[in-house]
Amino acid sequence: MPRSTPVPALAAPAARVHESLVLEPRDVRFDWARLPLHWIPDEPMATHVINVLHLLLPEGERWFVKVFKEALPLIRDEQLREEVLGFIGQEAIHAEAHQEVLDHLLGQGLDPRPYVRQVSWLFQRVLGDKPGLTPAQRRENVIERVAFVAAIEHFTAFLGNWALNSPGLDRAKADPTMLDLLRWHGAEEVEHRSVAFDLMVHLDPGYLRRVRGMALSGPLLVHLWVRGARFLLAADPTLQGRLKPSWREAGRIARRGLLPDPIRSIRSGLRYLRPGYHPTQEGSSSQALGYLATSPAARAAAAHG
Amino acid sequence: MDLSTPPPDLYGRPRTDTLIRRLTAFGDRYSPALGGPLLRRNPRRPLSRPTPPLQLAVAARRQLASEVVELTFADPSGGPLPPWQPGAHLRLALPSGRERHYSLSGDPADRLRYRIAVRRLPGGGGGSAEVHDTLHPGARLTARRPRNGFAFCAEPAVLLLAGGIGITPLLPMAREAQRHGLDWRLVHVGRSADTLPYADELRALDAHRVVPRTDDEHGGVPTGAELLAHAPRGAAVYCCGPAPMLAAVQRALDASPAASLHFERFGAAPITDGEPFAVRIGADGPTLDVPADRSALDVLREARPDLPYSCHQGFCGTCEVRLLAGRPDHRDRRLTPEQRAAGALLPCVSRAAEGETLVLDI
Repeated sequence: MPRSTPVPALAAPAARVHESLVLEPRDVRFDWARLPLHWIPDEPMATHVINVLHLLLPEGERWFVKVFKEALPLIRDEQLREEVLGFIGQEAIHAEAHQEVLDHLLGQGLDPRPYVRQVSWLFQRVLGDKPGLTPAQRRENVIERVAFVAAIEHFTAFLGNWALNSPGLDRAKADPTMLDLLRWHGAEEVEHRSVAFDLMVHLDPGYLRRVRGMALSGPLLVHLWVRGARFLLAADPTLQGRLKPSWREAGRIARRGLLPDPIRSIRSGLRYLRPGYHPTQEGSSSQALGYLATSPAARAAAAHG
Repeated sequence: MDLSTPPPDLYGRPRTDTLIRRLTAFGDRYSPALGGPLLRRNPRRPLSRPTPPLQLAVAARRQLASEVVELTFADPSGGPLPPWQPGAHLRLALPSGRERHYSLSGDPADRLRYRIAVRRLPGGGGGSAEVHDTLHPGARLTARRPRNGFAFCAEPAVLLLAGGIGITPLLPMAREAQRHGLDWRLVHVGRSADTLPYADELRALDAHRVVPRTDDEHGGVPTGAELLAHAPRGAAVYCCGPAPMLAAVQRALDASPAASLHFERFGAAPITDGEPFAVRIGADGPTLDVPADRSALDVLREARPDLPYSCHQGFCGTCEVRLLAGRPDHRDRRLTPEQRAAGALLPCVSRAAEGETLVLDI
């Protein structure tokens, strides 16, 4: 049994803000062979609400990578370009790490493929390249997608920050390898939380672009999450459709610290619309880097890297 | 994936999913609408400008230890320099055109000066010799703004492990730890006392927390366990030193009182087992020579600066290109045999035998 990894105590206040971090992917590996289907014991609802991540992220993060590769030629600043390249590598590794969990679910009799096919359609067809666009329209499409990524990255940083500050998951004896995946990923999301926003502002500082990015992707993300949780609970072979998700139940689970509070999540989305918003105002780089120095997967990656 | 037939209903019902149908219709109208009024970047706004390089002048130079020189830089007009935090480095463009990273060893509170210390490496790429030989007070050079790949997280208990010149990023950390009243220790490892730079500044911070550890007095190089024995329980370790020292600390960490390890990652190791080969960009494109000690990616980037890449080590897959012809030597850890058979190649690590030309679809 791998030992559970405590999240280090929050650092001294003066050291919390870190600017100009060098971003690099970490070559992490996880062993899922012994992951139980309900990896938060006796909490199938909380398990599956978090499992929606594994349904959305592999396709979603591959799409982030594609969008950011397309944005590279538009970048006019060397430091931002380096940060974007680091971001791309980190997202590519995230996608593969979650893909492995997805494959493991299938091996346990929970077939995620119907949902994943829809997610693939969303990212590859709905948000994919369209024929017959002029170069100016193509450029605008790249910038618009960067604005979607920036809005989604606000949520991934929010969730990452939550994962790093979720003692409820430790109390509930959640599987330590899954906790390490969530916290390693969450920490890298906090670490690179400014990149997509900075790229968007670099390509288009207009407020309207930022608002559109959140107005379109925020509600869609919430909807996909609810839909995914409902799907997983229905597809779970051990539950046989007995468990139906509800907001009341989600609120109850959140109060025990197993999920982020739904109200706080929505409030966080609204903060993104404040004119003076910047991602560095949320979460702590020190805490994220402190966790990455502890994480069994990140440490093993460093040792064989 | 099939992009012409919409995916079926989630629960196997015989109908197209309403959400998918609506999203698809929306996306098909939205993409061409972008570029119209209100749905485009305001063309009257100027494009964002690249950050200009820093202009620096050498303000002072002093000998710190045998073969170690300290340089202090300032803005030529005396203005403040961009802020930085412990662990940050400066990328200097040397007069020859070489670029080198050096950790900042001064005090971040001093906004007027940057300070670095450089040991002369006889077998290096010539950067340290150039610093020693050409950078005298008054010399001008450019640099990139400080960046941090070794950020100090100010955990309550901290062990700093410095190997020789590796003290440079750790000295500002020790200063910050002292300022915050953290429980910190610093072990400074070197061959002999005269090779340990900044011994006086460290003693002035708090002599009880600093342990000089020299090979000549302690009978050889320390083991990882010996170094980590100085860690307070649950401490975060920050290690900067030669690769064997870092590897020894990594191996010994789990059995030690310390809880976590921070160190600076330097990307790809130098290529030592490569042969010279060539890459061609497209079937009719230019042919570029790849020397034995450089990667195909580095050579390709000179011709195509927008080529994406990230890890430089063959695991993230960002730089994947399609191979049109040639026999490659795959050295990545990412691609499956099927992907390789279909022509995928990672030019950051993969190479070819001497005289071979890899034709790439870029």
